[in-house]
Amino acid sequence: MIRIDFNRLRFLIIDDNTHMRRILRTLLHGFGTREVYEAEDGAAGLEAFTHYMPDIVLTDWAMPIFDGLELTQMIRQPGANANPYVPIIMLTGHSEKKRVIAARDAGITEFLAKPISAKSLYQRILNIVANPRPFIRTRTYFGPDRRRNVNPNYVGPERRKGGKADVIRQQPLLNKAKAPV
Amino acid sequence: MAKAKNDTPAVTTYADYEVILPPNKLKKAVVKASAVTPADDPVARAEAALAELANEFSSWMETECERLIQARQTLKRVGVNATTRDELFRAAHDIKGEAETFGFPLAGHVADSLCRLIEHTPDFEHVPSSLIDQHVDAVRAIIREAHLEDAEATATRLTARLRQVTDEFLAHENRHRPEYLDGILAPPLSPDEQG
Repeated sequence: MIRIDFNRLRFLIIDDNTHMRRILRTLLHGFGTREVYEAEDGAAGLEAFTHYMPDIVLTDWAMPIFDGLELTQMIRQPGANANPYVPIIMLTGHSEKKRVIAARDAGITEFLAKPISAKSLYQRILNIVANPRPFIRTRTYFGPDRRRNVNPNYVGPERRKGGKADVIRQQPLLNKAKAPV
Repeated sequence: MAKAKNDTPAVTTYADYEVILPPNKLKKAVVKASAVTPADDPVARAEAALAELANEFSSWMETECERLIQARQTLKRVGVNATTRDELFRAAHDIKGEAETFGFPLAGHVADSLCRLIEHTPDFEHVPSSLIDQHVDAVRAIIREAHLEDAEATATRLTARLRQVTDEFLAHENRHRPEYLDGILAPPLSPDEQG
C-alpha cells in the first residue's frame, strides 16, 4: 500500500479567488503539507514558481493577466525554467470536452473540475506521486504522455512513428489511484 | 527505454518524437505503509479541516454574490465591452466553481447557466438584459432565501427553467453553427468530477 508523506512536498496554488485559495490551502494542510505558497494571477504565479520551486502546481484556468493555460505553456518551455517537468493540476469550473482537451494539449498533468473535494484532490496528487508519466516531445507538444492506457479496441493508424518501441504500454493510472489507501 | 539518472532526464528518440523520463523528484514522498488507521487517513483529516471553515461559507457566498451583482450593474452602466463581459463571466464562473462547496449547489447551477449564456452567444449584445437579470436575481434569491421552508423546491424549478430558456436561446443564436451547437449541448467530459 502506498501513502504520501505530504510533509515532504511543496505546493504552489495559483488562483485569483481568495476563497478558493483558502479552501485549497486548508485541504493541503489537512493532508499534512506544511509548505504551501500562493499567487493570485498567472504572472505572479510564474514568478512564485521560479522563486519557490514547488513540487506540484495547482492552478486555476480563468485568471487575469494570463490564464492557467498560458501559464502551463510557459512552464512547459524546455530550458525556460529549472523544472519544465513539474506536475500541474488544473482546477477549473470548465468541464466541457473542448476545454479538457485544450488543457491536456497545453501539457497539464491532471484535470480537476470544480467543485472539488478532499478525495478528488487527493486522488490526483496520488496519481502524480505514485505513477509519474514519461514526457513526450514532438514538433507540436511537450508534456506528460497523453496516452494514459492502451485501448485494445483502437482501430486506426499509429500516429507516433518509429517502430515497435513507439507504443508505450502503461497501467491505467486511475485504477491504480483508486486502490484503497 | 532508458532510465533517468541523478538529475538528468533519460531521453529515448524515435522517428518523430522523444520519450523523456525526468528524474523522479517526488519519490521522496512515497511511503509504503502496511495499514492505515482512521486517524491517519489524509482525506478524512482534510475533510475535517474543511468542515472547520464551514461557518464562514455563507458570508463567502454573500461576497461572491455581491461581486456578481456589481458586475451586472457595471454592465448596465458602462455597456457591453470586453471588460464588462469578462467581469460578469468571471464572477459567475467563480460561483459555479464554489457554490457546491459552500453549500449552495443550486446557485452553482444557475451560475453555470449564466456562464454558458455569456460564453456561447456569438454576439453578446444579442443577450436580452432581462435574461441576465433573471440569472443574477436567481443566484441572489437562492443564497439569501435558503432558510425559507420551500426554498429548495422553488430553487430547483427556477434553476431548471433558466437552463431551459438559456439552451433554447443558445440553440437559436447558434442555429447556423450546428457543429458548435452539438459541442455545447454535449455532456461534460471531465473525468471523475466528484472523485
